[in-house]
Amino acid sequence: MAQIVNDFTVNIATANGTGSQSANLILLNSMFEMGVSVSGKNLFPSNISGLPTWFIIRASDAGYQAPGDNTHIQIVMNKDTWMADVEKAESGTIIIYNQDVKLPIERDDCTVLGMPMTKMARSINPKLARLMANMYYVGGLAEILGIDSEAIHSAVTQQFKGKEKAIELNMQAIGEGRTFARENWDCNIAHVVEAREKNPNTYLIDGNEATALGCIFGGVNMLSWYPITPSSSLAESIIGWIPKIRTGDDGGATCAVIQAEDELAAAGMVIGAGWAGGRGMTCTSGPGISLMSEFIGLAYFAEVPGVIWDVNRVGPSTGLPTRTQQADLTLLYEASHGDTQHIVLIPGTVDECFEYGWKAFDYAERFQTLVFGFSDLDLGMNQWVTAGFEYPELPLDRGKVLRTQKELDAIENFGRYRDVDGDGIPYRTLPGSGLEPILYRGTGHDEDGVYSEDPAVYHATVSRLKRKIDGARDLLPAPIIRNEEERQIGIVYYGSVENSIKEIDDILEATGIKVSTCRVRALPYHSEVEKFVEEHEQIVVLEVNRDGQLYGILRKEMPTDLLNKMYCVAFSDGMPPRAQVYVDMILETLGVTQEVKA
Amino acid sequence: MSLRPIQLNVIDLPKGDYTGGKSSLCPGCGHDQISNIIIQAAWENGIAPETIAKMSGIGCSSKTPAYFLGKSHGFNTVHGRMPSVTTGANMVNKDLTFIGVSGDGDTASIGIGQFVHAIRRNLNMVYIVENNGVYGLTKGQYSATVEKGSKKKKGITNENPPIDLCKMAINLGCGFVARSFSGSKKQLTALMRAALSHKGMAVIDVISPCVTFANNDESYRSYNYVKANDDELHSVDYIPHFTPVEEVEIPEGEFKDIKLFDGSTLRLETIGDDHDPSDAVAALAAIHEAEKENRHVTGLLHYNSEMKTADEALDLTQKPLVDLAENEMRPSKDVLEEINNSFRV
Repeated sequence: MAQIVNDFTVNIATANGTGSQSANLILLNSMFEMGVSVSGKNLFPSNISGLPTWFIIRASDAGYQAPGDNTHIQIVMNKDTWMADVEKAESGTIIIYNQDVKLPIERDDCTVLGMPMTKMARSINPKLARLMANMYYVGGLAEILGIDSEAIHSAVTQQFKGKEKAIELNMQAIGEGRTFARENWDCNIAHVVEAREKNPNTYLIDGNEATALGCIFGGVNMLSWYPITPSSSLAESIIGWIPKIRTGDDGGATCAVIQAEDELAAAGMVIGAGWAGGRGMTCTSGPGISLMSEFIGLAYFAEVPGVIWDVNRVGPSTGLPTRTQQADLTLLYEASHGDTQHIVLIPGTVDECFEYGWKAFDYAERFQTLVFGFSDLDLGMNQWVTAGFEYPELPLDRGKVLRTQKELDAIENFGRYRDVDGDGIPYRTLPGSGLEPILYRGTGHDEDGVYSEDPAVYHATVSRLKRKIDGARDLLPAPIIRNEEERQIGIVYYGSVENSIKEIDDILEATGIKVSTCRVRALPYHSEVEKFVEEHEQIVVLEVNRDGQLYGILRKEMPTDLLNKMYCVAFSDGMPPRAQVYVDMILETLGVTQEVKA
Repeated sequence: MSLRPIQLNVIDLPKGDYTGGKSSLCPGCGHDQISNIIIQAAWENGIAPETIAKMSGIGCSSKTPAYFLGKSHGFNTVHGRMPSVTTGANMVNKDLTFIGVSGDGDTASIGIGQFVHAIRRNLNMVYIVENNGVYGLTKGQYSATVEKGSKKKKGITNENPPIDLCKMAINLGCGFVARSFSGSKKQLTALMRAALSHKGMAVIDVISPCVTFANNDESYRSYNYVKANDDELHSVDYIPHFTPVEEVEIPEGEFKDIKLFDGSTLRLETIGDDHDPSDAVAALAAIHEAEKENRHVTGLLHYNSEMKTADEALDLTQKPLVDLAENEMRPSKDVLEEINNSFRV
């Protein structure tokens, strides 16, 4: 049989809380160790123990990171989803199952490989049999795919850092699984893993930890947070790193962490910290943003810096708390009542999570406003490759803060909200300084910060705010553009769709269409985004939600003559974006017929 | 006509340095008296105005920071959320003296969660509730602190039991809980000065009649009613730490001295029954007894200075975080390289 090298998808069906995450990460990391391009998607339930969970591993020499539209190897461990997992397997799939579950697999059209995983695990350690059983499918898979023993050992060591006994037991289980597969599985599998040259600088990290590190290198002074999936690990990562790398000379912390009573309070603390001159942040998900909205408006109107990271999960309401989506974008951009507009940074890689982690504070203080980081569960909680984070190339930008009488005296006709420089950004003084104190307020105020209901004053204030945020456009991260010479179809996308775009692009181009891509990395959008739209015949705005939220924003802000060529392709079912799903929608939307496709 | 010399406080500032803008509240409003007492207390205590941060939520009470301490920064935040903004600011600049002003709607209804949690954390601030039992700025609806049986000028008698903020604060372990009346200038000034000398959360619940919507005799929070039904626990005197010992008079009757964080003293002179402010249960009993008779008990209800404040509990570096230099906020390039390497297998 012809071998298919480094091009397959494994779907592992287990139950939550059975230790399968360790087994899955060992598989992922061992292939990564071998230099193979892999991605892992953890599809977990909103539950601590017992509900079904799936882990998808995609190996792809082409670098595709989407979950894959087809499953080549299905591992079934969970009796609750057994029948469905078996049934949905396509003909030809390799099905590996735990014989001790004692459930049938009636699929003559598939290669079915059983192993008494629980029984074998029990012989090593009866107490840990439930957890250890998972290591047997690791061994079985390693054998049939040809994963190096050395790479497996390295991944196991990494997984159970320092726990010698655990490393030994799990290695034994994996070894036994390997032997069993070799001796019992009559299997002629086409898919194999082949080692590739690995960049020694690379490692895997999830987006939340990358963001956390970025925030710490951005000088965060105060983290207030309220636990919510999928953002909790961002806060917990900051909490974990602070004592290691952010203590003062006297051993005290240089960042205060408060677990707030709710998201409202968390946002209030961010604003208090920013008002007092510090770098405050919180992290949350959509439901938290809904609760924070009142404070977001206050920060916008009173012009207080702060950072809020939204790790998007599926809404509306409580929605699917452990699934991924890009449906908070409009909410962030226009959060709170009245006319508002906020800066949103949209990382698409873990490197950008780190970068925007520190940059968000600079933008917040530069523009004296709230800055959102917009991540999602897929980017935040799954493991992605980095070649190592780059140290901030710029010093901290503390913005227009007058700290001394001399600095204050240098400003002619100072007023807290007076636009001295013509960029819409006024100067501020800090509490404790005694310099031109004012009572900050969410009510209407004049240039000196004094309460005002004067129509002209109100209009001037909100017009300046508009100008201020508008002025940020080209200072925010520019889009990443990959242009085809033909400028035929342009796909505008953002965030974690980055992990699927290459595959989408390749499938489309295989049909003969020339596709350029433009990844928007911030709102308000950069002028290069408009240029990209201008240059292309047809524009597809691709996103993981129902209504086309970026599409709506672009339509609202682009010149009218560009609107007719913009098409919306939005789809979300809670899953990370699968390439073929979006390709089909794009072709249908653009009216490309099957004949042309063929 | 001879000019009187301008009186200066212990840091040589005139009282004028502590005043604010003109009040826009109804003439005679209890809140304005409280503002005057805040001005008086801060001036007499000799606190530099720039080291004070005045915080508020939304409502009549929360407008008042515009009317006192014009040389202090302030933040009139959103409804019921003053404590969280104060918390964030306190974390970043723990050296500021935070004076929070709130009302009964702002604290006992929409903001009750933040009130509770600020106390639980022992946030280092003075939390003043200007408590009139009605929502004034929306024209006189009952608030959650109004007593059962009390009746405002218009509308029906309130039949719901009140939320007593002092009882709550005591139950939550608050270290400084006092109740006073905006018409009791001497008592409130002494309590306010003591609260400013306390380290940690100091709650002062001030009955402050709403002259427009609830100053009728059937209202348990009207001037006449409170004057006639005020049970003072003790007579209070504040003796600042900078007062020379020989100038301190010794009272004739029984008294208790409470030593405050900054070295000042709050002297409690016994009026009737002896009240021990260290006894939280006795404080709750005193409130309960007064409540049964539809009376108000005022004075220092409870005091306990043994707790760590919110910022102390976090073991922050000594320097206020707002004063950190760039190299104290951003770890070095080497640190990042070490982190990168630690992830590389």
